[in-house]
Parts: sequence; structure tokens; C-alpha cells
Amino acid sequence: MWHTIVTSLPAMISAMLQYTIPLAIISFIFGLILAVLTALIKFIQPSENKLIKYPWLVLRAIANFYVWLFRSTPLLVQLFIIFFGLPSAGVQLSPFIAAVIGFSLNTGAYASETIRSALLSVPQDQWDAAFTLNFTTKQTLMKIVLPQAVRIALPPLSNSFIGLVKDTSLASSITILEMFQVSQQITAKNFQPLLMYSLAAFLYAVVCSLLTLLQHYLERRTSKYVKGSEA
Amino acid sequence: MISLKNIVKTYGNKQVLKNLSVDFPDGKTTVILGPSGSGKSTLLRSLDLLVRPESGTLNFSDLKLDYSKPVSKKLSFDVRKKTSMVFQNWNLFPNLTVLKNITTAPETVLGKSKKETEERAHKLLAQVGLSEYADRYPSQLSGGQQQRISICRALAMDPEYILLDEPTSALDPELETQVLLILEELSKMGQAMIIVTHNMEFARSVADKIVFVEDGDILFDGSTDEFFNHPTTRIKDFLSGITFNEEK
Repeated sequence: MWHTIVTSLPAMISAMLQYTIPLAIISFIFGLILAVLTALIKFIQPSENKLIKYPWLVLRAIANFYVWLFRSTPLLVQLFIIFFGLPSAGVQLSPFIAAVIGFSLNTGAYASETIRSALLSVPQDQWDAAFTLNFTTKQTLMKIVLPQAVRIALPPLSNSFIGLVKDTSLASSITILEMFQVSQQITAKNFQPLLMYSLAAFLYAVVCSLLTLLQHYLERRTSKYVKGSEA
Repeated sequence: MISLKNIVKTYGNKQVLKNLSVDFPDGKTTVILGPSGSGKSTLLRSLDLLVRPESGTLNFSDLKLDYSKPVSKKLSFDVRKKTSMVFQNWNLFPNLTVLKNITTAPETVLGKSKKETEERAHKLLAQVGLSEYADRYPSQLSGGQQQRISICRALAMDPEYILLDEPTSALDPELETQVLLILEELSKMGQAMIIVTHNMEFARSVADKIVFVEDGDILFDGSTDEFFNHPTTRIKDFLSGITFNEEK
């Protein structure tokens, strides 16, 4: 058994470093950018100025449609449409690019609701206090509301990131040789599915445990102003 | 001077301010009294545009604002620059240290230098007896201390008027006294203030002028002496209704 583990580990770890982790990190960064933009478009009330108000309402309709679309369809189906479907419409993407697009859009849709709820959880009193001091909406967001929202959003965003790391295993279905795909290939040769898939599960658990530690660290850092936390 | 004319504000189908007009003199302390739900806070918040009445006008020294028309960003900025609000629950920014709570607005909004705002903040903190708390976070302070800091935050903007919305209602009597002493001192220094409060002793000792509001109407607008020493029947009822009296 140890022999099997030792001989398969290098290939699996290499697949993890080459595909699983980069896919997760790159997609999460893009997803997060998309999520913040989407959340702000839905959160901010446009001014009465018609030149701002109507384009804003159009943007908001697009944001709503986007979130609805990606939350209402399975991630696997989304990946299939992007990689296998789009070529029929003349859009040919490499497997890696297709996976990044799929994972980013999917993560962005879910995370945007996390961020929007964090923004909503900062009390109106904070906005009133900022407005009486003559902060603009943008200044209030940047200096007062977002720093408080980040703290609230951290645990659920960590959920999304950890979920994304495991979901990268779906990329095996669009021909990417990520860690799970490699474990399947090795199994096909050594006929030890229990051992190989357990090993894959273990490696996912190692990565996710490290992320959990990172979450705890970030939570401590962003919570230093909260009563009872050790600053 | 601030002069409000014909202010009307409705929430749903309840009119909370009924065509009300009132003046707030420069450099004086005006206390707004009245039962809960009478429209006192709404009146105060209208001055700072945190509440937008449907109609009426605001004349503030050289500024003129018509509530029924859209208010430009510039006008809203100028009005808010002359006022600063102190809230019942102080509403300090929990993510900023005490010092940053005081310096961020003058730095960001008025473009003052970090050095200048910090010097001013330290002076203000010394004035309210909280010098050693500059680097703490609000959550590490008592309610009374937080309220004193929120007064510093308001003062750091150099407003003509400080608007105080029941500044001591959430404090126990000892902490309340600490805050009231500071307000009394400000009043003596000629800082214009408009205070909504339920503390009659305080109103009697600091107010230059009393405005009594009930059901969105002004029932009294005059000197403190007249209010307490020559009250109308309704004011008598109000004053005796809020005084604890065993013989009743």
C-alpha cells in the first residue's frame, strides 16, 4: 500500500499544483471582483439624475439576470456549455480558460449575494453618521462600510473558496488533468479505487485545512476592533 | 441664524411635522422638548438633511434651501458643513480608533493635513478628559465615553451648530452627568447647539430658548424662564407628568 501511495503521490501533487490550486485561486480572484461589482450595482441607490439613473437600472437588470442564471443552473452544465457548446457558436476556448470562466462566473454569482448581505448588515446609523460629517457615498463605502462588511463576509466567502477548491474536480470532465483526473488515470492502471480516491480526498482536505487556518488568521485581523477579541 | 418655515413631513399617512416654523438663534443653546413621537427628532434631522421634509424652506445665514425641490450636492454639502449631529447611540465608527473617528472626516472631507487634525483631536480629547484613549477602539469604551468622543468628532468639523438628538437617553445617570457637564461648558463658550432631550434639569440650566413640540406642532417657543416659571396648562401637565411624585 505504501508503495502505491509513494509512487502515485508525485503525479497527484504535481497535478494539484499545476491545475487544482491555480484554477481555484485565479477563479476566486476574478469571481470576487465580479461579486463586488455585482453587489455594489445592486446595493447602491442611483441618484435622481436621469443620465445616471437609467443606465444604472439597466446595469442592475443585467446583474440580477446574471446572478439568477448562474445560481439556477448546475456548475457542471455551465462548464459543458462553455467548453463543448460555445465552439458551435464559433467561440473556441482552451480547457483551462473555459474552466476559469465557468468557475469565476459561478463563484461571482454566489459571492455577490454574500457581499450584498454583508453591506446590508452595516446599520443605517453608520451612514447617517458619515453623511452628517459630509462624507460622500463613495467615501462612506470605502472608509466606513466596506471595512465592516469585509469582516462579516469573511466566513461565508471562505465557504465559497473552500467549495471552489473541491469543485475544480469537475474540470476533469472538460479534459483538464487536475488532481482528481490524475487519480482516475492511476486507478485505471493499478485497480485500487478505494486507496486512490481516498488519497485524492485526503489531498483536498489538506488544502482546505490550510485555507481554514488562513480564514482564522484573517478573521482575527479584521476583528481586532470587536469587543472581546484579542487585539 | 437658522430659520425653518412651513415644514411638512409625512411618514405614510401620518403627518409628523404640520406646517411648522421655528428659528434657532446663533451662538445660543436651544432645547427642543416634547413627548415621544412628537416629531422632535424628525425636526432636528431635517436641519441636517438626514430627513427630507416634503415642503418648507430652510434659511441658514446665506444659504436658502427649498425642501420641495431637488437639493444640489453643493447646497447639501454647505448645509451639512455648518451642522454636525450627535446621535442618541453615538454611532461611532467601530472599525476606526478613537483618534481616527475624530480625524477621518476633517482629513477626507475638508482636506486638512494629518498633523493638523491629530493635534486638534488630541486637544479635544483632553477637553473631554479622554486623552489616554486615543488609540483604543470604541467597543473598549463605556457609553458615556463614546458619547463624549462623538461630541469631539462633531466639534472637529467646526460646525456653526451642533445638533444633539437625545444625547444622554441611552446612558445611566452617572455617565449622563459627565456628558451634560461637557455640553454645559460648550454652551457657556457660546457654541450654538440644538438639543433634543428629556432631562428637564439640564434644559432649565443650559437652555437660552425652549421649543416645545407636540403632534408635529410647536406649542411653545420662547425663553427658558417663561417655559418653566409661567407654563401654560398643557406644559404644566407635561412637566408634572414626567416628574416622579409620590403624592399623586
